[in-house]
Amino acid sequence: MDTDALKKEITKGQLWRSVMRHDVEDNPRTRVLKVMSNVFLHLHPVRIPRFGLYLKHTWCMGGLTFFLFLVLTVTGTLLMFYYHPTKEVAYADIKYLEFDVPFGMLLRNMHRWSAHAMIISVWLHMYRVFMTGSYKPPREFNWVVGVLLLTLTMLLSFTGYLLTDDQLGFWAVTVGTNMARATPLLGHEGPFAELTGASPYNDIRFAMLGGSVVAGNALLRAYIWHCIALPLIVAMFIAVHFWRVRKDGGISAPQ
Amino acid sequence: MDQFWLIISKPDNVPIVLMLLLVGFFTWLALSEARKFDKARAEGKTVKEAAYGDEADYPERVTVWPFLVREEFLAAIAMTIFLFIWSMALDAPLEEMANPNVTPNPSKAPWYFLGLQEILVYFDPWIAGVILPNVIVVGLMVIPYIDPNPKGSGYYTFRERPLAITIFLFGFLILWVLLTAIGTFTRGPGWIWFWPWQYWDTHAVVAETNVDFSDLFFGISSGSFTGSLIGFAVIAIWFPLIMALPLIFRKGRELASEMGIVRYLVFGNLLAFMLALPLKMFLRIFLHVKYIWVTPWFNV
Amino acid sequence: MAEDSAASADKKESMPEPPPQPEVTPGEEFKENVRDFVDKVRKRREAMTLVGWASIATFCGAYALALVRFFFPRVLFEPPNVFKAGYPAEYTVGAVDTNYQKSQRVWIVREPEGFYALLAKCTHLGCTPVWKEAENKFKCPCHGSGFTKEGINYEGPAPRPLERLKIAVADDGQIQIDKSIKFRQEKGDWEKPGALLKA
Repeated sequence: MDTDALKKEITKGQLWRSVMRHDVEDNPRTRVLKVMSNVFLHLHPVRIPRFGLYLKHTWCMGGLTFFLFLVLTVTGTLLMFYYHPTKEVAYADIKYLEFDVPFGMLLRNMHRWSAHAMIISVWLHMYRVFMTGSYKPPREFNWVVGVLLLTLTMLLSFTGYLLTDDQLGFWAVTVGTNMARATPLLGHEGPFAELTGASPYNDIRFAMLGGSVVAGNALLRAYIWHCIALPLIVAMFIAVHFWRVRKDGGISAPQ
Repeated sequence: MDQFWLIISKPDNVPIVLMLLLVGFFTWLALSEARKFDKARAEGKTVKEAAYGDEADYPERVTVWPFLVREEFLAAIAMTIFLFIWSMALDAPLEEMANPNVTPNPSKAPWYFLGLQEILVYFDPWIAGVILPNVIVVGLMVIPYIDPNPKGSGYYTFRERPLAITIFLFGFLILWVLLTAIGTFTRGPGWIWFWPWQYWDTHAVVAETNVDFSDLFFGISSGSFTGSLIGFAVIAIWFPLIMALPLIFRKGRELASEMGIVRYLVFGNLLAFMLALPLKMFLRIFLHVKYIWVTPWFNV
Repeated sequence: MAEDSAASADKKESMPEPPPQPEVTPGEEFKENVRDFVDKVRKRREAMTLVGWASIATFCGAYALALVRFFFPRVLFEPPNVFKAGYPAEYTVGAVDTNYQKSQRVWIVREPEGFYALLAKCTHLGCTPVWKEAENKFKCPCHGSGFTKEGINYEGPAPRPLERLKIAVADDGQIQIDKSIKFRQEKGDWEKPGALLKA
């Protein structure tokens, strides 16, 4: 069978032309159009500095961080189908996911390891951007956005820790949130707590946990921050981050 | 060594081992790229020639399709394969159901916060858990605004920005990555230091009598008014001292005048914060100093 | 201008340096060999491309199948639809048994000709009616619908009779009711086997 003829026949048809607004054959013009007429690809400029291709220059860490964010969004959404954020069943749901839900174990593992991998890749992305001096003018603001994204990534991972409702997550979150007790002025064990009247029932930790101990409310709050609020905030900052990469002159390269 | 293997092979610690290997590799990569570049510059090549090396005469810009899209696609596939293998080989940890009455010893935060938890040994929680994290985040954010050096944007170099790179590497590698590793691998029950070959004995007790700064050096009780005043003086001197130190050198003065007063003050304060951490660690570990400054409301 | 640089970029990127031309003019046989070789390489490349895309498609297909499977849980944490309601001899002829109203939302009625089970759910808006022994009817407290002992609606807004449930005798001799199988009078279901357990 003549595949080339078939290809030609398909790409000439109205259906194909309605989706792909450019010719198929490879030439400088279609290379430009392929990027410009595709909503996803047009995150990129049409042309980039050759340096942007070199792995030894970019380490590919920013792109991998974004890819991991996408993986986490997909696997996380799927996990939500089988998870109830209540003290009564949360732990049982994880067991159920692991031992009975089809592909549940694989899904949970992938969500967890992607989260850890994303922490690493986001650190390394910052490391690379610093080492190539890519925060220098005109990219100062995007560095600031990047630092916020790094912080948010760690908070995302941290809020996810509690959701399994096991000893590991419970104590990790207990240790983590106990720090908030010591916030000056705002925490009940911090300096000047008497001055503001901070107690275990009105301080900043209380607001984080929705109570004085890590219990049902804390689980629900962690769940909402983890699944809805923080991802939305992160998505917004990612949009700004990507937009500014282009507006600030694209990926940095020697001038 | 069994204990060490036990820690390393805990599923949640695998990412740290991976992180340490990657940080090590990329540090080597960045510095070796920088060395290559600096060497080429010393031979009189232009920035572009030095950065592009053998490919200096290649066109500077390439089309995103297919070159970048192809690369991103391959990276995504490689990552997918990596994640599938990792997820099939290693199960995510799940311990017993949460029980507020049974506290594991040691209780550790998630691994990426263990650097901060390690700092808790040396500072009270309001500094280690609240002030320092905020200083770190804000400090990172202001980097582009306090670095007056226009050189070294878009390529690896050491010679063109030695100060910036040295400070960052110190902060990232020593104060963050190393402390994270210490918090993970050497801190056992009771947050006591265990060497990798030592067994994590839950009943281990380390006799440690810590004294406060003024008691140690002046024999004055840190809780007394004079003692508190001495503590305050030490801190009140530390920040201006660190800020003034670079001004002794000609290069430091040049840097300061390039930065201007506001930038220099921000830079100096952050530097003082950054150096205070290892100093306090030194004082605690070798001289058993607990607090520098004791007041009725808080201790530093 | 822009296109020019793109074109030249492409040339540098994808084409290795052309091999040095031989000094002597190549003969026909040599040319033929070169053409064969180029053809072979081209075919091999096409085959590799096909293998590459086929594996990606296979992976995506397998993942999609796994995803479909994922949405069908293997175990349900729901109360079972089938329950046992004691031995037939325990029932009084002519009486409505309300013992299972609270736990199962079911009435079991024993008539001379046999047993039937009514779902205690008003066909108007789903409230639970009450059995009024004295008036010999089921009365719904929400909007006043009334049903006869047989389950036929005769007063109030209820549009159709109550639903009967599948009733049978289990292996151990007890009455067994399956709430997932319903019999509706207006469809003529009450005549079907399972709607009535003959005594």
